[in-house]
Amino acid sequence: MGDSQYSFSLTTFSPSGKLVQIEHALTAVGSGQTSLGIKGKINLVALCHQCCYCYIEVVGMLVANIELLMIPSYVRSVIAAANGVVIATEKKLPSILVDETSVQKIQILTPNIGVVYSGMGPDSRVLVRKSRKQAEQYQRLYKEPIPVTQLVRETATVMQEFTQSGGVRPFGVSLLVAGYDDKGPQLYQVDPSGSYFSWKASAMGKNVSNAKAFLEKRYTDDMELDDAVHTAILTLKEGVLTPAEIEDYLQEVE
Amino acid sequence: MAKVEVDAPPKGGFSFDLCRRNDMLSKKGVKPPSYLKTGTTIVGLIFQDGVILGADTRATEGPIVADKNCEKIHYMAPNIYCCGAGTAADTEAVTDTISSQLKLHRYHTGRESRVVTALTLLKSHLFRYQGHVSAALVLGGVDVTGPHLHTIYPHGSTDTLPFATMGSGSLAAMAVFESKYHEGLSKDEGVKLVCEAICSGIFNDLGSGSNVDICVITKGQKEYLRNHLSPNPRTYVSSKGYTFTKKTEVLLTKITPLKKLVDVIEGGDAMEE
Amino acid sequence: MSIFEYNGSALVAMVGKNCFAIASDRRLGVQLQTVATDFQRIFKIHDKLFVGLSGLATDAQTLYQRLVFRHKLYQLREERDMKPETFASLVSAILYEKRFGPYFCQPVIAGLGDEDKPFICTMDSIGAKELAKDFVVAGTASESLYGACESMFKPDMEPEELFETISQALLSSVDRDCLSGWGGHVYVVTPTEVTERILKGRMD
Repeated sequence: MGDSQYSFSLTTFSPSGKLVQIEHALTAVGSGQTSLGIKGKINLVALCHQCCYCYIEVVGMLVANIELLMIPSYVRSVIAAANGVVIATEKKLPSILVDETSVQKIQILTPNIGVVYSGMGPDSRVLVRKSRKQAEQYQRLYKEPIPVTQLVRETATVMQEFTQSGGVRPFGVSLLVAGYDDKGPQLYQVDPSGSYFSWKASAMGKNVSNAKAFLEKRYTDDMELDDAVHTAILTLKEGVLTPAEIEDYLQEVE
Repeated sequence: MAKVEVDAPPKGGFSFDLCRRNDMLSKKGVKPPSYLKTGTTIVGLIFQDGVILGADTRATEGPIVADKNCEKIHYMAPNIYCCGAGTAADTEAVTDTISSQLKLHRYHTGRESRVVTALTLLKSHLFRYQGHVSAALVLGGVDVTGPHLHTIYPHGSTDTLPFATMGSGSLAAMAVFESKYHEGLSKDEGVKLVCEAICSGIFNDLGSGSNVDICVITKGQKEYLRNHLSPNPRTYVSSKGYTFTKKTEVLLTKITPLKKLVDVIEGGDAMEE
Repeated sequence: MSIFEYNGSALVAMVGKNCFAIASDRRLGVQLQTVATDFQRIFKIHDKLFVGLSGLATDAQTLYQRLVFRHKLYQLREERDMKPETFASLVSAILYEKRFGPYFCQPVIAGLGDEDKPFICTMDSIGAKELAKDFVVAGTASESLYGACESMFKPDMEPEELFETISQALLSSVDRDCLSGWGGHVYVVTPTEVTERILKGRMD
């Protein structure tokens, strides 16, 4: 492991061109609890310019050990095309003695944007706080809610700064940011390096590869929000539960 | 200086760049500008189930009526509203700033905002600027501890009252409240009394005018009645309007057609990696 | 003398049916002496958004540069043009930032928003927004403009009639204001085209 001698400072490249601390941060993410997000039904183009008639509602849900956030959009007067985006995460507690009502892994940034993390919880709180402030600043300047892309970029900028500044370490989290705005439902993943991607569906944390493989199999472009919720739960529970148990969970959702 | 210009977007706070120049100008005898004011009658009262706020809708700039139907009841939180009198830009900015702080506070605590929280944030902001941010406010709302009504003065002092008035029409409105307010008003009685107080301001104070806006806040509910009364409708509109027979003399005309947006057709060749 | 009267100006914007018009005078003076008669006070932000800046000319030009800068930055960042409402909020924020040392400038903003809905608004020099459904005015001739517009304006005018109305309102108002005049500059904006006209006015 010739790189290890370059891990004393996160701003020092190893000869192979890596910033080792960032890789370590990704490892922290990879061992975190699984989170995933699915974009339901890519928005009909016709609905895009109708945005001023839409109103946005955030629905949070808790299904035994899984936290869910749906951001649907209901279009008034036009056909009720319920499309939106859902993010979900496994909520495994270290002990049954922990009061589960005090743990909230999915957070709301603005009324139409939510976020979930994999990795170190405390690190995510810092990002959530900064992102909310950023969203609020945008709102105060333009008197208009911040578009998802803008908020994601601002958050990613903060994460990047922590890979280049002195006296700090990179964030040990990856974020899935889900939101709904003028451009329809959106889902982004932001990594500790500060890079971000838009996804139709994505997963992170423990068992990423299994979860992603599962999502690849199940995902279709014309998924309704309900289907997306089902798929999210199935993906998180895949391999852990028997088909019968999965059925039980799905019953609970309905 | 040049650096400041390049620094976009500002993170809040004031810039004092032009103060020295403006001060030099005023020393040379140039009068500084007058600002948009809300001459204003604003009132609030507590009734049996909550709080009612009221305001007129006139904005003035010196003796000119600049806006005949402006909004003076500002949103603070879902359960808290605030009437503003004084310099329009200040009342708008101060209520905006604080409502944004309250929102972040709600996200952090996961609880409904309290009226005292809004009150404390507002008064500390105003006190910090020593009365230079000239906003006189009537703050009302219903929270977990019940209905509350406060007045806030531009220097940051506050009062807690069962009924309150502010602005240039405050005396006219207070006269109505002092003679007719009593405890345990019903909603309809309350709205009627607030209307009467605002109308007293509209008709007896020149700084106030036009319509009556009302906001009724009760536990878990609010009702914003924009232009609840319009006692001063325009009566002098001619049905035909003016028509101009003679064409205006034009020296030069330039017509620029606007480009249509091009539709991008999906499904072209994918870019090479 | 008020600082707003140093250069003199007249600005007005009106809403028509799916269109709007914004007009200004063309005089630049130093108090009672006329310096230029082809002065620009109305600026294009993008195809369907115009801003007029009345008041002290030096501040108007500086402010215009800052507004263009901020709008270009927004365009690059968000890959879209600003909605008029959004732009108005931005102008308001920029002006209020200088609450205790203001630009001596009173802006008039006019644009076509979503679905080509016309939007007009004016502000005082520290950014107190004043939205109107019919017309807005600013500058040294504002008092006479208020009167002229109040009686000449009709709702839902077509572009041609809107042009006649705004031009007549402007010309008759600046004739009663010695600090503004020397012709007019009128923009009529519809969803499909922008018509810019230069008006002949009194030269005294």
